[in-house]
Amino acid sequence: MDESLRHESVPHQMKLSKSNSKSDDAFETIFHEYWTSIHRLLSRMVVDPAEAEDLALETFFRLYKHRPAGQDVFNIRGWLYKVASNLALQSIRSFKRREQYEINAGKDALDETRESQPARILAEKEDRQFVRIVLGQMNSRQAEILIMRYSDMSYKDIAAALQVSPTSIGPLLLRAEREFEKRYRALTQEEER
Amino acid sequence: MKTHLDDGQLRAALDGELDQAGLDHLESCTSCQTRQAAVRTQSELIAGKLAFLSSPTRDAGFSAPSAWHRFNEYKLIQKETNMFRRLFASPAMKYGLSILLILTLVLAFPGTRALAGELLSLFRVQRVTVVPVDFTGMQQLDGVVGRDISQLISDSVTIKNEPGDPVNVANTDEASQLAGFNVRAPQDITPSRISVMSGASFAFTIDRAKAQALLDEAGRSDLVLPEEVDGADVSVNIPSSVSIAFGTCPEPSNESEAAREMERETETSGSPGRFYADCIILAQIPSPEVSAPASLDIAKLAQIGLEFTGMTSEEAAQFTSTVDWTSTLVVPIPKNAASYQQVTVDGVTGTLIERPSDDAPQFALFWVKDGIIYTIGGLGSNSQKALEIANSLP
Repeated sequence: MDESLRHESVPHQMKLSKSNSKSDDAFETIFHEYWTSIHRLLSRMVVDPAEAEDLALETFFRLYKHRPAGQDVFNIRGWLYKVASNLALQSIRSFKRREQYEINAGKDALDETRESQPARILAEKEDRQFVRIVLGQMNSRQAEILIMRYSDMSYKDIAAALQVSPTSIGPLLLRAEREFEKRYRALTQEEER
Repeated sequence: MKTHLDDGQLRAALDGELDQAGLDHLESCTSCQTRQAAVRTQSELIAGKLAFLSSPTRDAGFSAPSAWHRFNEYKLIQKETNMFRRLFASPAMKYGLSILLILTLVLAFPGTRALAGELLSLFRVQRVTVVPVDFTGMQQLDGVVGRDISQLISDSVTIKNEPGDPVNVANTDEASQLAGFNVRAPQDITPSRISVMSGASFAFTIDRAKAQALLDEAGRSDLVLPEEVDGADVSVNIPSSVSIAFGTCPEPSNESEAAREMERETETSGSPGRFYADCIILAQIPSPEVSAPASLDIAKLAQIGLEFTGMTSEEAAQFTSTVDWTSTLVVPIPKNAASYQQVTVDGVTGTLIERPSDDAPQFALFWVKDGIIYTIGGLGSNSQKALEIANSLP
């Protein structure tokens, strides 16, 4: 049986108060519930497995440390995705990290070549690298919306994470997509020159 | 609904997130349908680029139970590191660190006590040792007690001579002249900066009643300060020091600001080392001098200090008995977040402290030679470079 299934599912919105054994149990349940998806998102975003793991641990550590006091109900999923997205974006923006991504992406591509993977896969990898760079260039809020939406989050969860109305997500998402497309096109044209 | 849908609503409709009234309008409005087709084309293009964010990974990484185990280790290290940072950034430690180090390294010197009678003075650091401390046990310093300790120290300390701003110099000859001792630097590595910090001196008087009241307030009334510490006057004279930087390092006058910046950065991105990852600083300072009453039993005070941090009475007694308090600089390090080892360096035995981390490793190398205390510290995992620098000193 998948270990992660041994733990009871938790609702996306729940009460998580500070400092008692009951809330520690609730935190552990949340950890088991969301670890895989948060780790997967960060693995997709930062490439380097060790850093993805560290950022995932840091995401949960922040939840542990800043369990919101005074808020009766709190959207755990939205909060975790927002923090994870933000950490990933910070990491991408770091010059040193960018260098590391490029080295890793290069190594990855070489490995794939050795395994005689088709050129399509190499192109995909390059594409993903452009996507990361573009997300890193965008303003955080727009990049977060894109990351959360394309991680299959509902408008309601995104709205809760960003503390806006669910009806504003459509327009915000559209603007973010237009900005992404503009920057992506500029970056790929620059690369072609 | 008579008003046409805006592009944002059309986008929401593609995700099945538009309300029923909007959907009803869309079903019957050709103009909106045409505009939605354009929105769809763009969204599908973006979806194609970003779909990898939700696709299954080939490398699943840790299972949740393994990750939970890792998380508990990570949590302990982070809590300890934060407490260590906060402790050493606190006003209490501005003077308290010097006092602690000076006290621990000098005051239990029976021979000198006998000779000096009322005053015991002039201690020389000959070696460095490390005491791993569980800083998570010191959360009492985080609140009112911490502020009261800071207040007690600042009330008790009289600054006689404040250090000036660091002065940048062109070479080690100039540094030696300004600092008053022979400054050493590797011949084959060009430093990015050499600076001299003038010396400082201060004195303090121990108020036993107030100090004991603080221990009581911190819930440690089991720790009893010896009567003889009351009214003890201690004078500390710290000589000029020299700092030689390699790589990209913060300006010395901005080092505390840089430390704060890195702490803020840790809060926001978890990547404190990225600004100065190649920075290595070699610092050197002659041993400080301390005068203190002969009646002070530093081993006893050190034991109380260690117990305050969470060591058992037996552990603290065992550690204090292994230290030669006449000549040893005792450096506290976070128990879980750092490791240390003895290394041969510059022809003597030194101590290499490392805080391993995938994200922001740090290291510090300490040794003492000919009465000068040397440290090489840096961010990054390149502690080997520190050893190379130390071993290439002329």
